[in-house]
Amino acid sequence: MKALLKKGFHQADRLFSNVFTPQWNPLYQLGALSFFYFWIVAITGVYLFIFFETSIHGAYASIERITHEQWFVGGVMRSFHRYASAAMGISVTLHLLREYAMDRYSGPRWFSWVTGIPLLWLLFAAAIGGYWLVWDQQAQYIAILTAEFLDWLPIMVDPMASNFLNESTLSNRLFSLLVFLHIGIPLALLLGMFIHIKRISAARTNPAKGLAAGTLLAMLAVSLWKPALSQAPANLDRAVTEVGLDWVFLNTYPLIDSWGPGQTWALLVGLSCLLTIVPWLPSRRPEQTPIAVVDPENCNGCGWCLADCPYEAVTMKEHDFKSGHQQSVVDPDLCLSCGICAGACPSSSPFRHVDELTTGISIPGFHIKELLSLTENKLAVLATGAPRIMLYGCDHGSVVEPMASDSVAAISMPCSALVPPAFVDYVLRKNLADGVVISGCCEGDCHYRLGNSWLEQRFSQERMPILRTRVPRERVRLRWLGEQGTAQLREEIDAFQRDLTAETVVTLQEAPNG
Amino acid sequence: MAKASRYLGQALLYALFFLPIAWLTHQPTHTHLEPGMAELKIAVRHAGKIIGQCGTDNSAPEVLLPEHVTRPEICPRERSPLQLELLLDGETLYRATVAPSGLHNDGVSSMYRRFRVPAGRHHLALRMNDDAAREGATWELVAPIELAPAQVLVATFKEGFRLQ
Repeated sequence: MKALLKKGFHQADRLFSNVFTPQWNPLYQLGALSFFYFWIVAITGVYLFIFFETSIHGAYASIERITHEQWFVGGVMRSFHRYASAAMGISVTLHLLREYAMDRYSGPRWFSWVTGIPLLWLLFAAAIGGYWLVWDQQAQYIAILTAEFLDWLPIMVDPMASNFLNESTLSNRLFSLLVFLHIGIPLALLLGMFIHIKRISAARTNPAKGLAAGTLLAMLAVSLWKPALSQAPANLDRAVTEVGLDWVFLNTYPLIDSWGPGQTWALLVGLSCLLTIVPWLPSRRPEQTPIAVVDPENCNGCGWCLADCPYEAVTMKEHDFKSGHQQSVVDPDLCLSCGICAGACPSSSPFRHVDELTTGISIPGFHIKELLSLTENKLAVLATGAPRIMLYGCDHGSVVEPMASDSVAAISMPCSALVPPAFVDYVLRKNLADGVVISGCCEGDCHYRLGNSWLEQRFSQERMPILRTRVPRERVRLRWLGEQGTAQLREEIDAFQRDLTAETVVTLQEAPNG
Repeated sequence: MAKASRYLGQALLYALFFLPIAWLTHQPTHTHLEPGMAELKIAVRHAGKIIGQCGTDNSAPEVLLPEHVTRPEICPRERSPLQLELLLDGETLYRATVAPSGLHNDGVSSMYRRFRVPAGRHHLALRMNDDAAREGATWELVAPIELAPAQVLVATFKEGFRLQ
């Protein structure tokens, strides 16, 4: 199922990246979009609250006034409130499915996964509470069923459903309580969202501006075309017969209706427990490589690894033996073994005048010394006919190793950002290869969140360690095509080789005159 | 992809996302109560009779008590559970024992149930025993009722069963 889901996401990714560009691809920023929808709901909620009356008869009437008497503001606000919350429900669900499909929930990432499960409950509780406030037929239906659902738990002396026996048992104070809950639960949700991203650095909580603008425009269009409306007013003296439902958030109510509260509780709690233990379920995902190791001898305390670690696994402490200096420390519970820190370390340079190449921080099995030796060995056996390409790839992006040929040397590693920029300089300067290609996950969808962004910034000299100016940029290509772009990468390498050949010919032709 | 066609594609994908949302937030409708059906709710909140009677505390020897002090009375706190029965046209819809609340079973007994019943004429019988010392129903309501489709009839208890 996971493979099928992954394939589906890859196909959708390709479509959305083509139409939106990778920077605006909504599937790459489902978490950020969820935050965005939350803020829309919060802001429009504040506006609606100003005009809302917390009483039995006032609730429905005030919402009707907001919707019809000031449709151009209040009506649009109400529609935004409803559609943004439904969109948040869908984006959160897609976010969960995507992280599952892409294997981004295990190891140290269990924290974000597990803290996300209560958020689902809070999100649904907040949305359901909002529908109560409208106090129409749908509200009556869900109020009674929710009360019966909660009454199934042996926690309250007086059944909550007794508040909804008929019109005479309904109290104005209940609406005050509902408003309190409808503000309190989203605040709890926001706190939970903050905890959810606590263990990741540079968490993306805002979508790309273009995507945000497009989303707002689309919501405005839908709000004007199909404004959110109330159903007939609630009347507890008459039973609800047929009711229009919000199937995004109220989909469990027909289950409560037919199964009863007990079985529905069993299903929801069972599903939540199952989701919670997913990070520890045996699966076919590859074993996690050993965590990053700091070599105090070669760590100068620059903090570049700290700045680049996407999971806040690196901190600094007083150096073990260099007084007044600091050194990096890796928290094994947070390290995902991506190797981005090794690529960030200024000591990871093959130009260093040391007997044995070493570095301040590295991943066992992908130590810089081993990476250099692998690079040199693979390049050494290439034929000299066609332009020689050094192809570095990541284990989660385009599959590079089968692309190795007599003119292409390929090395796959946990993350492409493990390659220090100095390696590219070294390979070209020593004439070990004619061109270097670094490939990886799709742009904006790095398996380790920030690998391709950091590498781009290092190569454009916006982030340390930089790729030196002397490196001819036309001989270096960064390609973020993902697993689904493997075939395209192969074609692009062929094209790169042709470009390099043409460049060589031009250079040779120009040389006699120059 | 040309800029115009890209924006057109985006508009299409936004529409594909938001139009189903606009539809799904109120459609398709769900049938909660079939036509020709009504609802009968019963909600009882009542404290059963105290089990046992007050008695004199004989734990202290007579000689230890001052002359003007009478022996204290000890009264049990535990209340009787409610034995409830609801019959419609002679058929039992509900029969249960509702325990008193509280750690010492000294609180009220509360219950609520909702039933779907066919609209029309029926014969309703409600019986309750709130005294463990007595056999049979201590409270009873037997009445013919007529329910319109989708009508909600509520049976509550306050010094006797009431229909609303």
